[in-house]
Amino acid sequence: MKHPAYHLRPNKAVDRIAMVEAIRRLERLVDLKDYTYYGLGGPYLEEYRLLYEYYPEMKYVSLEKDFETYKRQQFHKPCKILDLKNLDVGSFLTEWQPNDKSVIFWLDYPDLEYPNFAEFITLLGMIPEKSMVKITLRCEPTDYFNKADEFRNKFQSVMPEGSEDPPATISEFAYFLQRMLQISAEQALPASVTPCVFQPVASFYYADGVGIFTLTGLVWPRTELPNLKKIFKNWRLQNLDWSYPKKIDVPILSTKERLRLECRLPCKSKTPGKTLRIALGYLIDEDIASTESKLEQYAHYHRQFPYFMRAVP
Amino acid sequence: MNPISQIKYVPLEASPVKSFFVSMLTRDIRLEDAILDLLDNSVDGAIRNSNREIDKPYANKHAEIDFCGNSFTISDNCGGIPWSLHNYAFRLGKASDSPQDVPGTVGTYGIGMKRAMFKMGGHCLISTRSGSDEYSIEISPEWLANEKDWKLPVQPVKRSRDEDGTTIFVTDLYPGIAKRFDEDSKAFTSELIKLVSTHYAFIIDKGFEVSINGIHVKPRPTKLIFDTGTDIKNSVKPYIYKTKTSDGVEVFLAVGFTRPIPSQNEILNGQEANRYSSMDAGWTVLCNDRAVLYADRSELTGWGEANVPRYHTQFIAISGIVEFRSDDPSKLPTTTTKRGVDASSPLFLQVKNKMREGMRLFTDYTNKWKGREDESKEQILKGVPLSFAQVKIQSESIRMNPTLRTFTRGEQFVPNLPLPKILEPAKRRISFIRESKDISNLAEYFGNSDMEPYEVGGQCFDLLLKEARR
Repeated sequence: MKHPAYHLRPNKAVDRIAMVEAIRRLERLVDLKDYTYYGLGGPYLEEYRLLYEYYPEMKYVSLEKDFETYKRQQFHKPCKILDLKNLDVGSFLTEWQPNDKSVIFWLDYPDLEYPNFAEFITLLGMIPEKSMVKITLRCEPTDYFNKADEFRNKFQSVMPEGSEDPPATISEFAYFLQRMLQISAEQALPASVTPCVFQPVASFYYADGVGIFTLTGLVWPRTELPNLKKIFKNWRLQNLDWSYPKKIDVPILSTKERLRLECRLPCKSKTPGKTLRIALGYLIDEDIASTESKLEQYAHYHRQFPYFMRAVP
Repeated sequence: MNPISQIKYVPLEASPVKSFFVSMLTRDIRLEDAILDLLDNSVDGAIRNSNREIDKPYANKHAEIDFCGNSFTISDNCGGIPWSLHNYAFRLGKASDSPQDVPGTVGTYGIGMKRAMFKMGGHCLISTRSGSDEYSIEISPEWLANEKDWKLPVQPVKRSRDEDGTTIFVTDLYPGIAKRFDEDSKAFTSELIKLVSTHYAFIIDKGFEVSINGIHVKPRPTKLIFDTGTDIKNSVKPYIYKTKTSDGVEVFLAVGFTRPIPSQNEILNGQEANRYSSMDAGWTVLCNDRAVLYADRSELTGWGEANVPRYHTQFIAISGIVEFRSDDPSKLPTTTTKRGVDASSPLFLQVKNKMREGMRLFTDYTNKWKGREDESKEQILKGVPLSFAQVKIQSESIRMNPTLRTFTRGEQFVPNLPLPKILEPAKRRISFIRESKDISNLAEYFGNSDMEPYEVGGQCFDLLLKEARR
């Protein structure tokens, strides 16, 4: 099975670090040693490598439906405590018997299909309170150009109105997916039935070749929401009220360029893109506006932005 | 002394217990259906105040539904409740001496509005204007708690609204209801919009407007493929049946294709991944313009009965609509909630025979064209999708034949659907299953990763045949 170079996707790398930051905030309210992390790590198990560095006390489970990729994962296994399972999410949820220990679950789907939403709904209904769920979906409005009927047939039960056309721009499409997930979350955890709610903490959209939308949230007791919001409210990347997802579009910069810019960050200027463009002294994109936009992204995510460099194996 | 001799036999108290009455009334109805009951009242008002003979009889009539964690409101401009009807409109149930409503309404039991209000909250205010009559009625928590008092206070109101209409305002929402209107409002709004857009599609199509929390509801009517070309034979048209019963119920039925029949690949994908969250296939039953059943694919509408196969993804293209229309709503085959079909209704059971008869034509067609969906697609796409109203208009211009052995004599149109040509004996079908990743690899090898599996198989065959012939 062919895979993109997951480990070299800068925007996804920012998203991954943002998840670690969300977990660090969660850690202020819970004891993570009781948690198990479930994910769909792909052939390189990149997020497991990262999480294990920060949280060696957590337990780890990976789900992979493709047998060849599963074998490749065994080769890339970053730690002994990672339990690799050759299962798809649907089959796993069917046989899973969760106990009262909370989980962190990343439904990292490469596509956009209705079963993704159905599995999200099922998962929310199964997991104990104070669990974290992150869901990632393909976010390519061009997939549905002139195919609005197909979109409605697939997703009508979680669409806000059921009769609307899917939006044509990536930012609106991402927001639309987020509204669909909000409806799914309310269907999974109705206020009249369960004391818990799915509280979003962050959402992003980005494109490392293909458009991606991702939402992270916590299944939290409604009565304890103020405590949770207090912990996340000062996080620069938070989305606590289902507002528009944040865009991640970090520029490709050399190490030398980054070192030039880093001493100016964080930048208190209202126009950080302009400040950094002047510091560089040249354009890194087509024109001034797009250069400043990219550098503003860099200013925003520089702490989460990884270094990609050649290493001696 | 014998104590029994001291008992004094007095007349027994057998009046209804208000709190029991209220809680029992509301127990068996879903919140969504209770709200649709209120919308039904608005539509009935629009019918009373419209000319039903024109194309858009409900134009400029509208209802706005708004809710939040504290209150629920429905407001319309559909004529209001005349003071002369107050004894009937606000009583719990319809008395035998109630005046006959105007033709075409669906209110039968005189309970919908009260049941809906009691379902939601403990404090209700109804204000209405009908011509010079303008008044408001309050149902308070104290009134609901007082078992003796069955009189409702009425207040005259002056010029509170610009048009004739009614506003119902419910507060003191019960906790479960408030949560659905507040914390679950996104899911609830979405569900309600979809219900209105399907169940009131035919009314909205006729000009009625509904908004829910500020969102204008668009209708989602079922459209049937109708080939209006001159070739009467071999063209895809719906099966149509119409009749009028001796007690005045008009029945119009149409069943056909809404889209080309699905390819084998589409069927397999649909089954494997459960890719569709909802489907419009199946039967919709209308009673005086309201859909009381939508996209049903069960035995209730004839699937899996009397030579009609059970519903299966391969029949995703088949939809039918059957309309019952009567000036007397009690003659319609609907349940008390108006959100279901009375399956034991003799009228419905007889019409169901015709539903099955029509449906069988299209399930047979689907089976006959299995494996040759591409050829069938060409046939189906020659037609245009027509709404139910448009199918009714078209039925005027096609030759309907009298039905001979039906309970009530009617007319029907049986389409002459195209039959597949019998494969030439020199040709044979080849079908086989291979790993999907191998098929994708070959599709990429052939330079088009979007190729369908049968195309990949065909290319492989042609390539090797060329080699063999060298």
